[in-house]
Amino acid sequence: MTTKKENIKRLGIYLLIVAASSAMPFVYFKLMNASQTGFFIVAELFCAAPALANLITRKLTKEGFRNMKLHLHLTENIRYYLLAFALPLLCTALMYIPAIIICDHSEWLSGFTLNNVVTAVLMLAAQGAVMSAGLIGEELGWRGYMNQKLEPLVGIIGTVLIGGAVWSLWHLPSDMQGYLAGRETLSETMKSVGGRLLIMPGYAAFYLWLTKKTDSVWPAVLAHAMGNASQSAIAELLGMGNIPEAASLPSWTDVLEYVPMIIIAMFFVVLLLREKKKIPQTA
Amino acid sequence: MTGLVYKEWKHNRFFILLMIACGLLPFIMILYNRDIVTNTDEMYNFRIICTVIAFLAAGGIQTMVLMGDDRKIWGYWITATPEGYRGFIRVKYEMVFAMIVLFITSLQTFDRLFCAAAADKGWELTGSISSVAVPLAFLQIILRATDIPFALRYGNKKGGITKLIYSIAFVIIISVLILTNAGNFSVILYESGEKLFTEDNISLALGIVCMIALTAYYLSYRISCRVYLKGVEQYDH
Repeated sequence: MTTKKENIKRLGIYLLIVAASSAMPFVYFKLMNASQTGFFIVAELFCAAPALANLITRKLTKEGFRNMKLHLHLTENIRYYLLAFALPLLCTALMYIPAIIICDHSEWLSGFTLNNVVTAVLMLAAQGAVMSAGLIGEELGWRGYMNQKLEPLVGIIGTVLIGGAVWSLWHLPSDMQGYLAGRETLSETMKSVGGRLLIMPGYAAFYLWLTKKTDSVWPAVLAHAMGNASQSAIAELLGMGNIPEAASLPSWTDVLEYVPMIIIAMFFVVLLLREKKKIPQTA
Repeated sequence: MTGLVYKEWKHNRFFILLMIACGLLPFIMILYNRDIVTNTDEMYNFRIICTVIAFLAAGGIQTMVLMGDDRKIWGYWITATPEGYRGFIRVKYEMVFAMIVLFITSLQTFDRLFCAAAADKGWELTGSISSVAVPLAFLQIILRATDIPFALRYGNKKGGITKLIYSIAFVIIISVLILTNAGNFSVILYESGEKLFTEDNISLALGIVCMIALTAYYLSYRISCRVYLKGVEQYDH
């Protein structure tokens, strides 16, 4: 049994490594701007940093490499894998489409024909099956290590909120790239940082629930890949519609983008709390 | 299950790690021949050729992990374990699939590295190899879906020959049907191909083929489970 002190120490080392990795793109900013190869190498290392931090922490603390949650557990959990595929796609669609419909611009959705939607779903499913493995670089760290250490310390809600915040702040270098390169203003950058801080706990709750249900990080990997890929799929479908070049929606509709993820966050936190209650407490 | 994964890793780790090397293969071939290729279009074509070669090499290595388990004593023993022969076959399928995923991930990573290095050198590269690599990955899944049941049913050596006989028979039947136009086969084939692969439908058709590949892989697992014990009875030793 690990003590609270041990848990804090392990989590501290893990977060320190992750924070260092987050500083890396700032440190090598000049190199990344000057050379595409430099950019590629730093970006790849940055993306794999949470998984590397997991492995390094386990080695440093002599914790061992058990409970990495790398088993697929596919047969008995196929419904969770399907949910990992479908829910991020549905959420991404709900983030953008209702605002267009409410503002009476349904003609913008003319790209959403049955043929196009089925094609997008099939291509996403195919991509998800063979090309999502790269996301293990993140999920092995966040869901495969950080959550396991956070939960005994701060409970379910704390894990979702703190874990989600750490996870979104880790993306700060990629959010800041536009500002540092002079392509964005500080307020635009802060808007995307803030938006991420609102959205990520929702995903964090869903991925935590998936990982606990299946005892595997792979459904979270799939869901993460789908979350990323579905954004470009929805953008592509929107791009096929009749959207005028100078089209814009009222600024209040930005709020609608966050609604699905807030609902998802609350729904899965309630599920997680209910399931925790069912587990008999040991003295 | 962990034990079976451990066993597969210990037996086949060399082949599994070779998938990363196969992904690196086009990168090495391009570097070695960089003086021969002079313009952007030639470079793209050369990258595609190198990618196809890498797929052939990776495919060959993937079939090698099927060797060594075609023994009666292993078949009886694994059937008697709590996981049973189904667990063994499942891990085998998962491992082969993981090898394909590892290969495509490695291939795309090294291709992106190559594109970045080329951009630094001032070369303008057109197109990503993903448009070729992803369909080839699904073709590889279909090929493995046919390889594994034959290897488990007839043993690795006999399985290869049996598969070859079936493949040749299939090609001959299709060729005869096309050449003789029996039952209007050629016309139906041509018309349905024309309908399916129109410019509007090409992505949809590709998506359907990808899903068929994944379904075929799952069905192949179910077939392997059905035929494995019959195969064990007929293994040579």
